[in-house]
Amino acid sequence: MRPRLFTSARLSRRTLLVGCLAVPSSVIQCTRRQPSEQRVADLAIESDGDFLAFRPDELTCASGTLVTLTFHHRGKFLSARHNWVLVLPGQLEAVDKSVEHNEGIIPTDDPRVIAWTPMCDKGGMVMTRFTAPARGDYPFFCSTPGHGECMQGVLHVTA
Amino acid sequence: MNGIHRKGFAALAVLGFTVTFAAQASAQQLKAPDDIKTTLRLLVQVSNDFKRQITNKNFARVPHEFMEYTEAADAVRTAMKGESADLKAKVEPRLKAAVAAYQKVSDMSAKETDVDKLMAEHAKAVTAMNALFDLFPAALRPDPNLPPPGRGRGRG
Repeated sequence: MRPRLFTSARLSRRTLLVGCLAVPSSVIQCTRRQPSEQRVADLAIESDGDFLAFRPDELTCASGTLVTLTFHHRGKFLSARHNWVLVLPGQLEAVDKSVEHNEGIIPTDDPRVIAWTPMCDKGGMVMTRFTAPARGDYPFFCSTPGHGECMQGVLHVTA
Repeated sequence: MNGIHRKGFAALAVLGFTVTFAAQASAQQLKAPDDIKTTLRLLVQVSNDFKRQITNKNFARVPHEFMEYTEAADAVRTAMKGESADLKAKVEPRLKAAVAAYQKVSDMSAKETDVDKLMAEHAKAVTAMNALFDLFPAALRPDPNLPPPGRGRGRG
């Protein structure tokens, strides 16, 4: 009998533990429900082969949309790395300049940067997810030093 | 006078047509004209990258551009694979000369920080590259005055 009681005591502790975890997890699930109501959009963009250009160089999405953007490096010959960096209007050149001597690596705390992908080698694919900002035209570019002067485009955010 | 002008125009038109036709015909004789054209454009792109890194005084990046130049040169060789031995024999020494000229710019950038001196050396490298382009039909030669393909167009 004693072992059985012991077992049931263990079970009740487990139940208690599950119960304790259930409360916060239900709260988390509540907060997760909100993004699921958010509009979602998948955007795809690629490099123009080995050339310093995005294809397409204009993207469009609605404000507030949860965007999943995939960048495909279509290069075959050159070892140049590329990425995709979305910045506030009028900040492209300043951000490009600020990372020029740092191999184009975007710092995580730059308030001028809305979203960015990691650097990508030829043939590779990288992804980023972000909520589309307020309506407007937002520039994007590749932050590899020297690339931003040619390799850029615009994200049109509609209402 | 009108008759002379008409004859002059006609002669020019015939000449223009002949030159265009001849360029197209010789481009068509190549096995992979599109691949060759693309890879020659890559050489120009990397050459322009050299220029940007020098003018931005980002000298540490210049050797990286040289590495890309050698990759673009290899891409030209790959594109040339199926072409005649005669053309390949003409292309290889000029390609090597162009690569050597860009290596000189790269090596120089390790010590030299004078933008004008580096740009002068870069201009010599461009001349070497253009000598390579001269071996190809006009239709395949990259136009050095064309802006790069990206939206930014190199910001002038």
